[in-house]
Amino acid sequence: MAGMTIIVKTASRLLFPFVLLFGIYIILHGHLTPGGGFPGGVVIVAAIVMLLLGYGADAAKAKFSPLQASVSENIGSLILVATGLLGLFLGFNFMKNAIPLGTTGNLYSSGILIPLNIGVGIKVAAGLAVILYAMLTAFEEEKK
Amino acid sequence: MIEAAPILAIIIPLMGSFLTPLISILTKRYKKERIRDLFVVAITIVTLLLVLYMLPTVWNGNIIVYRLGNWTPPWGICLAIDGLNILVALIVSGIAALVSIYSLMYMKNDTGLGKYYTLLLLILASMMGVTLTGDFFNMFVFFEIMSTAAYALVAFRRNWDSIEASIKYMVMGSLGASLFLLGISFIYNLVGSLNIADIAQKISIIGTNPMPLVLILILALLMTGLSIKIAMVPFHAWMPDAYQAAPSAVVALFAAGTTTVGVYMMLRVVYTLFGVAALGAMLIVLGSVTMVVGALMALVQRDLKRLLAYSGISQVGYILLGVGFGTALGIEGGLFHLLNNAIYKALLFMCAGAILYRVGTTNLDELGGLSKNMPITACLFTIGALAISGVPPFNGFASKWTIYIAGIQAGKAFFTLLAIIVSVLTLAYLLKAVNAIFLGQRPKRFENVKEAPMTMLFPMMLLAVLCIVLGVLPSLGIDIVTPAYNALVNQHGYIHAVLGGI
Amino acid sequence: MNVDYIVAMLMISFGLYCLLIKRNLIKMVIGLEILTFGIHLFLISMGYREGGIAPIVTGTNPASVVATLGVDPLPQALVLTSIVIDVCVTAMLLSLAIYAYKYHKTLDMSEIRRLKG
Repeated sequence: MAGMTIIVKTASRLLFPFVLLFGIYIILHGHLTPGGGFPGGVVIVAAIVMLLLGYGADAAKAKFSPLQASVSENIGSLILVATGLLGLFLGFNFMKNAIPLGTTGNLYSSGILIPLNIGVGIKVAAGLAVILYAMLTAFEEEKK
Repeated sequence: MIEAAPILAIIIPLMGSFLTPLISILTKRYKKERIRDLFVVAITIVTLLLVLYMLPTVWNGNIIVYRLGNWTPPWGICLAIDGLNILVALIVSGIAALVSIYSLMYMKNDTGLGKYYTLLLLILASMMGVTLTGDFFNMFVFFEIMSTAAYALVAFRRNWDSIEASIKYMVMGSLGASLFLLGISFIYNLVGSLNIADIAQKISIIGTNPMPLVLILILALLMTGLSIKIAMVPFHAWMPDAYQAAPSAVVALFAAGTTTVGVYMMLRVVYTLFGVAALGAMLIVLGSVTMVVGALMALVQRDLKRLLAYSGISQVGYILLGVGFGTALGIEGGLFHLLNNAIYKALLFMCAGAILYRVGTTNLDELGGLSKNMPITACLFTIGALAISGVPPFNGFASKWTIYIAGIQAGKAFFTLLAIIVSVLTLAYLLKAVNAIFLGQRPKRFENVKEAPMTMLFPMMLLAVLCIVLGVLPSLGIDIVTPAYNALVNQHGYIHAVLGGI
Repeated sequence: MNVDYIVAMLMISFGLYCLLIKRNLIKMVIGLEILTFGIHLFLISMGYREGGIAPIVTGTNPASVVATLGVDPLPQALVLTSIVIDVCVTAMLLSLAIYAYKYHKTLDMSEIRRLKG
């Protein structure tokens, strides 16, 4: 699909890093504030979709190709399952919070919640990016 | 590590389904795609071995309880495995292993096989998740994952029939799942907990004789949501289209896997959660209507896979009829019929797939006289047809006879008569199918049709051998099913094992 | 009588009406969405406590205050999971609608239903 006018292009180019930063903030503070993996992943995908709508499908695919998105989706899920298996290897049951917990309220606290949130965030962002690429370029092949 | 066998039986297929796209990208670059196929077969066989490992412990009467994260239930999710769970897990993992061996050759002409194997492992992981879990919302989440993977597999070949079947299946399936979620929200409001044993304990304190209005509403919502999934009669409209459109390997997994899991969920809700054996009258009536409608619609079909789909609807009616009688013999007959239904339905759909693979059509008007070209497939299809109709040396006869005797003993001889008439109708339409496909005159263009390849014949022969063994030794089948029956009526034992010492 | 419950039930009935009566495929998807949102609203409003605060443990609200005054956080987690499932199912339905448009150039379900019986 083609891009849009120059106002949309400039605005999306200026806003892209801030939206990305906001999404990463929501993911990393999942154990302190509302949010967590899934809303953070959706905000990251909103940043990518902003580029997609402003510049067109070809320019967005040059930055985040669908192949990269598909591979990082699987890596996100593997981080999730591997964190659960960590408790299994340390002698407890599956998904046990076995890493040392810190004090409540710090950023580096609450054990395995940070890797779980990061895994879910990567998976959601990459998965929705693959879906949106497929949907928004569905009618392209007819023109070729 | 082996004490963690319950959770590994769910995590290993799940991790396999996450690794399969990566392996698929790598093997496509080096043109060795057989490695991915064999990886999938290896994972399904490992899952089957894990279930077989847990089998002796559960059959000695213990209930395995595995707590996720070492949280005590009811504040954490736990996996609780008793006799009923392990029977369904055995059926599902066994049929999935055979289907993955079968689809090594069957899907040779399709493209996009990386996605097919990912979806196959995902549906296996979610079916194991539904069977082995002891938490009600966890069961709902895995049930939704199973349904979503099923919608995607039905639309796998993207011709118009598949897409229309998938749209129909998806709309009806989502409606059923939404009603199930509404039932769960009412349960949470009533008892404040989501663990199956805890809900069962609190509902038995509230009392089910007479049942208060809110419990009737919850039961109605849950049963409606589940009967859309197992295609009981008012809600069966999606099943023939979906089974006709999906690839035959997948349909074998649906008929033996998702239907079995749906019936398991219904039994768990009615017997363990509510402890109500008085629901029998409704199950008997709905079961007999399903039986009769399925058999009558199957008589007029011209396409082989639609005929087998309606026959599957009819067999689910038998299972509900057997369970609804309420006596020990009736419930054992119903559970035995669940096991047998999985075996011979998978066999029949695999035979239909073999015919489609070699000939290219499943329309009964166009086929004919294939017994000279495909003798082994003809023999296996006839074994499956005789087994499903309840002819003596096969397993269908053993389970149907148990249901007939249970009907007479429970004083409901009318339903026994109805079941016998439907058996005769089943024999009629299946013999019509055998006659139209294998006997009679062969059209000219089928001169050079060869027999199905060996990797497709091997699972079918294994299933046929199981049909014969369970038919000749019916006491073996009853021994397999008795722990499930004991677990089903033993609600107090389940609550005591999970909640521990209350 | 809690106004949340009335609105949730109204949304469920509107969604069901839209799913069953409308013939355009996109309108059927919207009806299914409204039905699911109504059920989510019902589930969240079940955790409400009179005069409650948000269940977040901060410096001014230690854990004891949140335990006695906070609303129930468990239905919120359930609804979050259910929203994710709903996103996946909606994405699949819309992809199939794209295919339907490609094949038939129309989205009217009564014209493109061919499998019967």
